[in-house]
Amino acid sequence: MNFDFAFAMRIVPLVLEGIGNTILVAILSFIGATVLGFCWEIVRRSHWMLRPIAQFIIDAIRSTPALVQIYFLFFVLPYYGIVLPAMFVGIFGLSFYYSGYISEVFKAGIDAVPAGQGEAAESLGLSWADTVILVIAPQMLRNIAAPLGAYSIGILKSTPILAVIAVPEMLGSALDVASETYRYAEPMIVAGLLFLLLALIAAACVAALERRLGLVSQSH
Amino acid sequence: MVAMEEEMIVELVKKSISSPQLDGLKVPKAVQIANVSKWFGSFQVLRNVSVDVAVGERVVVCGPSGSGKSTLIRCINQLEKHQQGRIVVNGAELTPGMKGLAAVRRDVGMVFQQFNLFPHLTVLENCTLALVRARKLKRGEAEQVAMQNLERVRIVEQAGKYPRQLSGGQQQRVAIARALCMKPRIMLFDEPTSALDPEMVKEVLDVMTGLANEGMTMICVTHEMGFAREVADRVVFMDGGEIIEQATPSRFFSHPEHDRTKKFLSQILH
Amino acid sequence: MSFLEIMLGIFEGFGITAEVTFFGLLYAIPFALLAGVLQHFARGLGRWTVTAVIEFWRSSSVIVLLYAFYYSLPAFGVYLSAITVGSMVLGLNGGAYASQSVRAALQALDRGQCEAGLALGLSRFSVLRLVELPQAIRAMIPTFINEAIQLIKGTALVSLITLTDMTFRAKEIAQLSYNPVEIYTGLLLSYLILCYPVTILGRYLSTSYSNTGVRINEL
Repeated sequence: MNFDFAFAMRIVPLVLEGIGNTILVAILSFIGATVLGFCWEIVRRSHWMLRPIAQFIIDAIRSTPALVQIYFLFFVLPYYGIVLPAMFVGIFGLSFYYSGYISEVFKAGIDAVPAGQGEAAESLGLSWADTVILVIAPQMLRNIAAPLGAYSIGILKSTPILAVIAVPEMLGSALDVASETYRYAEPMIVAGLLFLLLALIAAACVAALERRLGLVSQSH
Repeated sequence: MVAMEEEMIVELVKKSISSPQLDGLKVPKAVQIANVSKWFGSFQVLRNVSVDVAVGERVVVCGPSGSGKSTLIRCINQLEKHQQGRIVVNGAELTPGMKGLAAVRRDVGMVFQQFNLFPHLTVLENCTLALVRARKLKRGEAEQVAMQNLERVRIVEQAGKYPRQLSGGQQQRVAIARALCMKPRIMLFDEPTSALDPEMVKEVLDVMTGLANEGMTMICVTHEMGFAREVADRVVFMDGGEIIEQATPSRFFSHPEHDRTKKFLSQILH
Repeated sequence: MSFLEIMLGIFEGFGITAEVTFFGLLYAIPFALLAGVLQHFARGLGRWTVTAVIEFWRSSSVIVLLYAFYYSLPAFGVYLSAITVGSMVLGLNGGAYASQSVRAALQALDRGQCEAGLALGLSRFSVLRLVELPQAIRAMIPTFINEAIQLIKGTALVSLITLTDMTFRAKEIAQLSYNPVEIYTGLLLSYLILCYPVTILGRYLSTSYSNTGVRINEL
């Protein structure tokens, strides 16, 4: 067996150097994806003519790999003179990719609020704005909390893709160590285990956050 | 003297049954529906329906499913929009895109088959929401009104609970209280007991009977014929989008005129 | 190079893309069914073990797993081809996700189905095979379709472990001629052609299986 445990332990801190960026990219991409996803869903519902267009864009985003979308942005933008730091491109790319999925979450969350809720609010004479803000939205938020939490973890696990465009996150740090020492097994396994640990911790945090905020779904 | 007045009113109501389009009658009309038709796509669900409801009158609408009865009362608060004819509620005509619709709705209370309580709010909050936002009451006042109405439906001790913690019958009573908080002049009931387990139907019907005895104008779509017999001033039978027959309960149940009415009654009352 | 030549060049990698997808499904579907069923029925230590295995494959980052397995297996004396590593990692990752859907579908079944089967004298396994799974499969199909799409997209990652799939070919062409717009648009288009029809199929199936009828109020 050619696996050097001692060496693996030694490089853990080196690989961990990238964790700050990993988390930063994940959070920013999640925010971007949620905002964009929400916008897509608003556009989709706003006008009957925009519906198929928005739906096509959402489906197209979900039909191509994130890696390829990132490559596209990274190589095509400079061609038109738009030169951005790799991290920007990466965050924008991940936001755009996941916005397609998150718009579906919003769609399901809104659709899951029974039509009778809006009818009851209207019957009481509440304005449209009050109906949406006080009756529909709180129920929608409870519906989307769990899927959004799941996607946040998914985004976190996708950040290492950005290593291919030289964003200095954890996988990138591991690859650096590997290329300097010509040993690939140890850095890759260390990276793998660290990412697993990170994902599990993040999942636990998200679950705790949902419980704290009382965002458990109201369905009975 | 009270008996004479009652007789007069009964006579006037009888007159309004036979000529629903007579304006200028002495009894004020809560709801006037004239030649209303409605289509869902190509399917006509209401066919030239005309009926009036006087203030203080209790009307039960019955009929087989698909007869258009739910659609008709949902047109009264414009949850469904009619395409032909006139509907006048509390003196205001309902037109598409009208500005005062929210105001009309505040004066018309609706109770749904599926209760439609707001699950993320407590019982008390369900009642005060529209008071605070639509009638612009202060929180304290709103809560007082809410508690009074919860008392009226005998559920005040559950004020702090969430709908999912209550039984179906309790939830429906809260829904009635919620509608009553707005002090409506008309109450619409769309099959209020159809989604309830049998042992809870009575508690809701009792509340509705109490309301009727207080003089509330009520239009109620229901299959509960015992309730109709006891409480209704008039029973309206609909089938296939039309009003087939309407009469006082005693006449309706003992001497129905049309074959379709007879068939329906034989199926319902076995 | 003309756009057409670029597209043809990219599609030279289709064989690898298809191969990895195919073998990936061969890993994913059995794993999903087995793990989902086991997790549904197992108790105690057995359940904990299955859950741990599922969570390992589900919570890991796919690209990191790919790198990790590809580069470290030889250090442990295991020599697998890149195609095997690629399809195994992608397949088991996808299968782990799908196993949750299998478990949910089984849980959602009416208990009465199982009881009726047992009352007829069927063995527990027969009840599973003949009564529960056939009904649960209907609910699982949208998820499996989704997994297929995820697999096709996931194959793009195997370009990073030296497999000559469509993405690898695109990057090769990019080395030869500087034409990022046409090359990467072409690459996006290639995946779109493969996945978009499946995405539409998946959405159609999931709306027809779920309970979203039109809300016409009771007349």
